[in-house]
Amino acid sequence: MTMISQMLGHLGQMDLSRLTAAFWLPHGESTFSPQVQFLWNFWYWISVFFTVLIVGLMVFFVIRYRHTKDRTIADPSPTHNNALEITWTIIPLIIVMVIFALGFTEYMNMDSPPANSYNIHVIAQKWSWTFVYENGAISNTLYLPVDKPVKLNMTSKDVLHGFWIPDLSIQRDVVPGRVMTTWVEATHPGTYWLQCAEYCGNGHSEMRAPVVVEPYPKFQQQILAAANIFEQDGKPLPLSTVGKKLYTTLGCLGCHSVDGSKGTGPSWKNLAGSKEVLANGQTVSVDYAFLKTMITHPGRVLIKGFPAGVMPSYGSRFTGKNVKNLYAVVWYINSLSKYSNKASQPPVPNNPSGSEPAASSASGKAAASATSAAPAAANGAATPVAKVPAGPHPVPLHVLGAKLYQSLGCIGCHTVNGQPGVGPTWKNLAGYPQKLTTGKTVIADYKYLRTMILDPGKMDVVGSPAGVMPNMYKYQLSGKKHPHENKLNAIIWYINTLSNRSSKATEPPVPDVPAAK
Amino acid sequence: MTALAGNNYGDTPVVPAKPDNYLTHGKTIRSWLLTLDHKRIGIMYLVVGLLAFFIGGMLAEVIRTQLLVPQGLIFHGTGSVASSYAAYRYYNQVFTLHGIIMVFLVLIPIIPGALGNFALPLLLGAKDVAFPKLNLISFYLYVVGALLAILSTVLGAVDTGWTFYTPFSIQTESYVVVMVLGIFLVGFSSIFTGINFMVTIHKLRPPGMSWFRMPLFLWAIYATSLIQVAATPVVGITFVLLMMERIMGIGIFNPALGGNPVLFQEFFWFYSHPAVYIMILPAMGIVSEIIPVFSRKHIFGYEFIALSSLAIALIGFLVWGHHIFVNGQSAELDAVFSFLTFVVAVPSAIKVWNWLATMYKGAIVLKTPMLYALSFIVLFTIGGLTGVVLGALSEDVVLHDTYFVVGHFHYVMMGGTLIGFIAGLHYWWPKMFGRMYNERIAQITCVVMFIGVNLTFFPQLMVGADGMPRRYASYLPMYQPYMIASTIGAYIQLVAFLTMAGYLMHSLFYGKKAPVNPWGGGSLEWETSSPPPHDNFETTPSVADPYDYGDLVFDPAVNGYVRTEKPADTLVPVKVAH
Repeated sequence: MTMISQMLGHLGQMDLSRLTAAFWLPHGESTFSPQVQFLWNFWYWISVFFTVLIVGLMVFFVIRYRHTKDRTIADPSPTHNNALEITWTIIPLIIVMVIFALGFTEYMNMDSPPANSYNIHVIAQKWSWTFVYENGAISNTLYLPVDKPVKLNMTSKDVLHGFWIPDLSIQRDVVPGRVMTTWVEATHPGTYWLQCAEYCGNGHSEMRAPVVVEPYPKFQQQILAAANIFEQDGKPLPLSTVGKKLYTTLGCLGCHSVDGSKGTGPSWKNLAGSKEVLANGQTVSVDYAFLKTMITHPGRVLIKGFPAGVMPSYGSRFTGKNVKNLYAVVWYINSLSKYSNKASQPPVPNNPSGSEPAASSASGKAAASATSAAPAAANGAATPVAKVPAGPHPVPLHVLGAKLYQSLGCIGCHTVNGQPGVGPTWKNLAGYPQKLTTGKTVIADYKYLRTMILDPGKMDVVGSPAGVMPNMYKYQLSGKKHPHENKLNAIIWYINTLSNRSSKATEPPVPDVPAAK
Repeated sequence: MTALAGNNYGDTPVVPAKPDNYLTHGKTIRSWLLTLDHKRIGIMYLVVGLLAFFIGGMLAEVIRTQLLVPQGLIFHGTGSVASSYAAYRYYNQVFTLHGIIMVFLVLIPIIPGALGNFALPLLLGAKDVAFPKLNLISFYLYVVGALLAILSTVLGAVDTGWTFYTPFSIQTESYVVVMVLGIFLVGFSSIFTGINFMVTIHKLRPPGMSWFRMPLFLWAIYATSLIQVAATPVVGITFVLLMMERIMGIGIFNPALGGNPVLFQEFFWFYSHPAVYIMILPAMGIVSEIIPVFSRKHIFGYEFIALSSLAIALIGFLVWGHHIFVNGQSAELDAVFSFLTFVVAVPSAIKVWNWLATMYKGAIVLKTPMLYALSFIVLFTIGGLTGVVLGALSEDVVLHDTYFVVGHFHYVMMGGTLIGFIAGLHYWWPKMFGRMYNERIAQITCVVMFIGVNLTFFPQLMVGADGMPRRYASYLPMYQPYMIASTIGAYIQLVAFLTMAGYLMHSLFYGKKAPVNPWGGGSLEWETSSPPPHDNFETTPSVADPYDYGDLVFDPAVNGYVRTEKPADTLVPVKVAH
């Protein structure tokens, strides 16, 4: 009964203009669309013509030549005619060849991104899309500028996904283990849908993202605002609020509910501080250390009743420079639990002012956030929670490198925790010997790292597939436009900080902290 | 007319007094299960195939019912995103099973297995297929494969889609290995059937039946067998590799181990595209038999229809890449596959024109088989033309993996293969069981079916062009009107199929006795009694042009056609030139 009322309800909301316009493709909003629409119409009218011709002839013959009492045998007519056969072979052949040529021409255009494209890194995973912009901003909404070509460099963290924006006439599979590229130049501002087109499991049909196309200045504002999730309007946010954002951005919501309902993974409601039984029968209390392990190394422990191997490894998103994300998510999990206690909470305060959550939120707000963060960090916490250094102090290059690691999309293939990826992990890379496919072994020094980043085609390392690493970085990091190779040095400094064999030979020729001397 | 010389089966009783036929030849269950009679094996294929079709069809109704509302009517969450995803897993299992059953257990085997087995030796005037024991082995491989598919479903089902794309099929916690093993065995069944039919057509043609005097259904089966024998081993090996990947982690398809997931797609489609022609060619063969019989006129362009089957089979091997245009293979390779895809469209068009030319100036009888054959032409035309736009590279980018593709291949598979199969089933039903069905109810059912099929799949073409991706358990609300229309169409089809099951079952027990030749067909199966005796022919039939209906006249006394001496003043259609 509810089904019927539901159906009627939706019928009432039916948009009739869509229905009448609908046989056609969606109104295309990219530079590809006019050509795609032209060929579609060309094909459509040819199809209508032939369908009407075939069905028309059929109906006419059935009526004109029907079998009756007086007419029981066929009229004499030939059983073959080569001229006719050749005609109806050649004409369709010519028509399909025209369609082939038109489709091929536009496709080659789709395959060649212009050199001045803005780069966006697209990360697909079960079941969410994440977009990383050139300035390091991360979002779940795809922001695109109008009238500017955008190159999308896409990687998948798990299985095949399909990047499909009907209104912009682009589609590309996202194959794990490769960087897939496509490009688009939107022609009209508006909001469209990106939908996953390649089947990827439980949440496939909900794996979509809004696509917001805006004039370039507004686009820049958007991605600047998205760049810092820890602040809003210049004010720091409570970590649990940031965690709630990350719950959506990082795709946790696909498997973990926050209302206690059953999902692919355990619900976060009343999880922190509770007792859980593991797959091996052991009972553990869900404290901070346990939550941290579950998030950064999901393969190590498994709660009873849940499938193994489903949770993607979020290691690099939650460790090292990104440890703040871990605090934020764990704080959020704590805010959902009535069992939350000191042991289940992260070692840093939730509130940026330094006070305990809920308990004494009224007081202490006046305290300067910068000074109160320091004692909290000193208070047994391993990593300081301070914001990324801002203000007049020079930023060490390796911090910039860590940001570039994300924004340039290195994160898609290279881990920083030693886990295998598509490309070599950056952990203990600098200073270590590397085996090349030519049989030679070389030490990963500065020169080697620089060549690998700028000219990846020159040599291949054993164990990593050839031809996968994009060769666009030489334009982004070096050449006439970047004579000082500042960003390149930043990345190589970052790689150095990840290795215990970092030495003079592996470091860039400029110091890590420019103004320190 | 050439007589069948020296082909006497020897021990046939001189006076066959008792009305023994192949159905009554042995009455024990054992006499059915261990039979080597191609007709009984055909009937067993028919029973198992229809059972599979019933299950696959009910799963389709579940799919359509789920999609009545955007968030899903049957499988949906309890409010949170995570609970929805957990529920959608069941939907994914349903559409996976629907695809696997329909493709591997119905579309591929049902026409060669059921109708091919029953009719092929009869059309040749032969006693049986070349290797009767291999034929029985084929059937049991098919049954064991089907049982493994059921076992996999009972154990916990598969949620990979029928395409088993890696790396999802390597990672998912479901019974992929059991399912794939089942399909592997069904594949062997397909290979054995193909070998059997090829040898039968080569070796058991009666004297006088040259290649270009064979009924066109035999050409279609021959072309089909060629693909079955040459392509199926590839998918067999691919599935073995997939099993090894899952069990041993050999790292050929798994990117985490340095494998290439796209390689699986190449291997899979190298078989699965030609498999599309395994499905459609026999249906085209059936239509080529029915159109001339019910137009009372010689087939037009015999050689072109026959050779276009071979052309489709051969070029069909070279177009698999058009399934994977957007997966990142090189643009030049895409161009080659796109070009060849357009080339393979032409032989199909040739067939349609020749069927129409056959009807021209005929004396068209709209009996049920003919109505289904005409439905086939319309539906296949729509299916074929929508395939043309998918072959164009820039259009494929905006249609790939959408409901447009779903609509397209259902027009070809349901509107083509299954409607062709139903046409053939109605055509040979009197011969198979010796009973007539209720003609009027069958005609009405055909019209209802035609409406149902179009109402189901045409909105899918529209919603796909509008951007709705396939394999979606839930969807954006703007697509709902199309989804509702499609579901209503699916329910209409269900009504048509249930009616069909009803009147066919009724005919088995209460149908009028069928005459030897109810439709006036000219091929050899209409020379023997309905149903045929165990050894097919009481007397050896003589081979003539199978499409010459000049000496067949309707005799109201037997309610069927009988051969007469040709009256001198009757115009006889021109014979085939060979």
